[in-house]
Amino acid sequence: MMLAQIAMDQLLRGIALSAATMLLLGTAFAVVLLIASVKLKVTVDEKVQQVHEALPKIDCGACGYAGCASYAKAVVANPELLGKCSPGGQATAEAIAGILNLQVRGGGSAPLRPIVHCRAHKGDRTYHAEYAGIPLCTAANAQPNVQACKFGCLGFGDCTRACKFDALHVIDGLATVDYEKCTGCTACSKACPRNLIEMVPFGQENMMTVACSSRETGKVTRSMCQVGCIACGLCVKQSDLFTVDDNLARLNYEKYEPSEATETAMTKCPTGVIVERGKTARQPRAAGEKAAKASA
Amino acid sequence: MIEIKGTMSFAGGVHPQENKRFTEQRPIELFTVGKQVAILLGQHIGAICKPVVAKKEAVTAGQVIGRAEAFVSAPVHSSVNGVVKDITLQSHPVLGRAMAVIIETDAAADNVKRPCPQRFGADFDASAWDPVRIREAIQEAGVVGMGGAGFPTRVKLEPNPQMPKDVIIINGCECEPFITCDYRVMTEWTHQVLAGVQLAARAAECSNVKIAIEDNKPEAIKIMHKAVRECREAKNIEVVPVRTKYPQGGERQLIKAVWKKDVPVGGIPPMIGVVVLNVATCAAIAEAVVCGNPLTHRVATVSGSSIARPGNYYVPIGTPVADLIDYCGGLDEKIAKVILGGPMMGFAIADLSTPITKTGGAVTLLTKEEITRAKYDRRETPCIRCGRCLQVCPAGINPTRIAHAVKHGMLDVADQYHMNACIECGCCSYICPANIELTGYIKTGKILVARAKKRMPQ
Ligand code: SF4
Ligand code: SF4
Ligand code: SF4
Repeated sequence: MMLAQIAMDQLLRGIALSAATMLLLGTAFAVVLLIASVKLKVTVDEKVQQVHEALPKIDCGACGYAGCASYAKAVVANPELLGKCSPGGQATAEAIAGILNLQVRGGGSAPLRPIVHCRAHKGDRTYHAEYAGIPLCTAANAQPNVQACKFGCLGFGDCTRACKFDALHVIDGLATVDYEKCTGCTACSKACPRNLIEMVPFGQENMMTVACSSRETGKVTRSMCQVGCIACGLCVKQSDLFTVDDNLARLNYEKYEPSEATETAMTKCPTGVIVERGKTARQPRAAGEKAAKASA
Repeated sequence: MIEIKGTMSFAGGVHPQENKRFTEQRPIELFTVGKQVAILLGQHIGAICKPVVAKKEAVTAGQVIGRAEAFVSAPVHSSVNGVVKDITLQSHPVLGRAMAVIIETDAAADNVKRPCPQRFGADFDASAWDPVRIREAIQEAGVVGMGGAGFPTRVKLEPNPQMPKDVIIINGCECEPFITCDYRVMTEWTHQVLAGVQLAARAAECSNVKIAIEDNKPEAIKIMHKAVRECREAKNIEVVPVRTKYPQGGERQLIKAVWKKDVPVGGIPPMIGVVVLNVATCAAIAEAVVCGNPLTHRVATVSGSSIARPGNYYVPIGTPVADLIDYCGGLDEKIAKVILGGPMMGFAIADLSTPITKTGGAVTLLTKEEITRAKYDRRETPCIRCGRCLQVCPAGINPTRIAHAVKHGMLDVADQYHMNACIECGCCSYICPANIELTGYIKTGKILVARAKKRMPQ
């Protein structure tokens, strides 16, 4: 009997002790939490949230930040960064300016749009062999002679997969931009292993371009591609907006305005590599089609 | 008697069909130069050379035509007498297109260079040469690692007080199928190789040398062993047979097998006190120092089941692959793939005007059937989780995880699984029953990571 009573006593005392301990601990933590919730209170900046709402929230990274949220934070802290969101464009810039009581400066410079500096479709290029490797541009680019031209579009669509707006498609072996859908987010230009896609300020609805990147001499380019730039310099004679450097002609995009001179350069280019790109661009001359005669 | 059976090795690896029988018994032959050669200005790791000759200039064999001021670089020399026709882009086995000096050979001049192994014998004594002078001679001769990577040899040998050299391992493994050029060099130019080894040891101020040869070349092991024993001055040189297994000749695997040490990931052998030199490089060192000849020629194996005259040829660097193939009997319709290098690590080329470089010791021609057997219709099927790629990977990483991460654009995951440790040996692709191009994906992943890093400002 005695023994049983002692055991019972001990048990009760044990339970009482643990209950007391728990209570104490609970109170202590509650106090800590209370203090923490006051001291470490996260003040969500209203402005940041509003700016974030105004952004397209596609996290494309064109602004140079990891996503829309971090750009929102950055632009609230530093108003200089206004207007960096190219998918949002002028409207977004104005909306943010409204929230932050700022003035939009510059009144909308020319929007950046990508131009693929190659115009060769499958049939226009020379292939020495069949490529049976991994169907990614980056993988193919690491192999020698996947196609004769080391500069042109590979057509496996690394850029297409990078585009979040379905604005880029590989059509018959050539990456082709759909300017209606493109927002200018620059993702494609970063994805291309051959650096074919350049972001160009579109001062006009349609932009003229020398759609080639080949640095080979004219003769070699000719042997590799029917529509490559052979650096003959005819365009330079027509308009001083063109220059030829390192076996490749180039148009001064900043200064470009459609004129008779650029028009003649386009029609006279022997390989038809000068083309128009943009929402309402004209169809380029078919590969192999003769250039306009000098008198035309 | 020396033990021929090699026991030393590394974990992982595969046993592809050796296919050395086509050229193993063919002695090194001289090669008649074609109409023109294209000498690439970047044939090594490091700064690419600037041309120092002009168009239409006459050049003689051995003349310097490209030079770079950087420490990690090597000059390139003309391999023929002739006239510079052009300096232009040319197909490069690795880079695609790169600058090269095109030289039209002078038909009237004697353009056949003869090797000089007879100048070296058992009585060769490297102590007659000053280490500084040896290193200079190596640099002037443009000697680079001829086993594949093309690291300038002088830079490798330069003594570095922070990283003293404990051992020099001479790589005579030649674990790639088909290729036999190093085997021929070892058996025919034995004393020249040995002279080069001694000179390298002296230049690097390290006397402990091991010559590693795979045990499928018993002849080479015997001959080399005999030569070492005959040689008075070669007390510290040891011939060690290693197990026949691909990639035994990989730098890291060889060090693991012979020296029982791991080269840290992202590190280089000198960090653990090791220098690895290829046997052909050693022959080139001997020739450069003793005869003063620049590296303008190399032994290249042309092999394949369908070529009329496979063999080992002493070819001028810059010779177009097409010339070499024509010399050996030409292409026939059975040949489906031309590879510069061996089938495991070589590069399939489509443009046959691609020239032979200092580092490219072989042209392998595969027929359609051979490729089919080696999985030509690479129809990739889903991974069956057999784990074979993990088993064979000499780097001990998980190829399938990394490859699939790359395939689905998860580069951070690939990085976590130690993508950088991959030595791109191709064992995993070779073994995969599901035909997944694991090595290809991993290589692609490395390129993507490198590019992303370059783009990030911080
Ligand atoms: S533009 Fe560049 S990324 Fe796009 S398909 Fe062509 S090569 Fe590939
Ligand atoms: S993962 Fe890299 S190192 Fe491992 S087997 Fe594949 S290619 Fe070789
Ligand atoms: S060897 Fe191929 S099938 Fe087997 S686990 Fe690796 S990737 Fe999967």
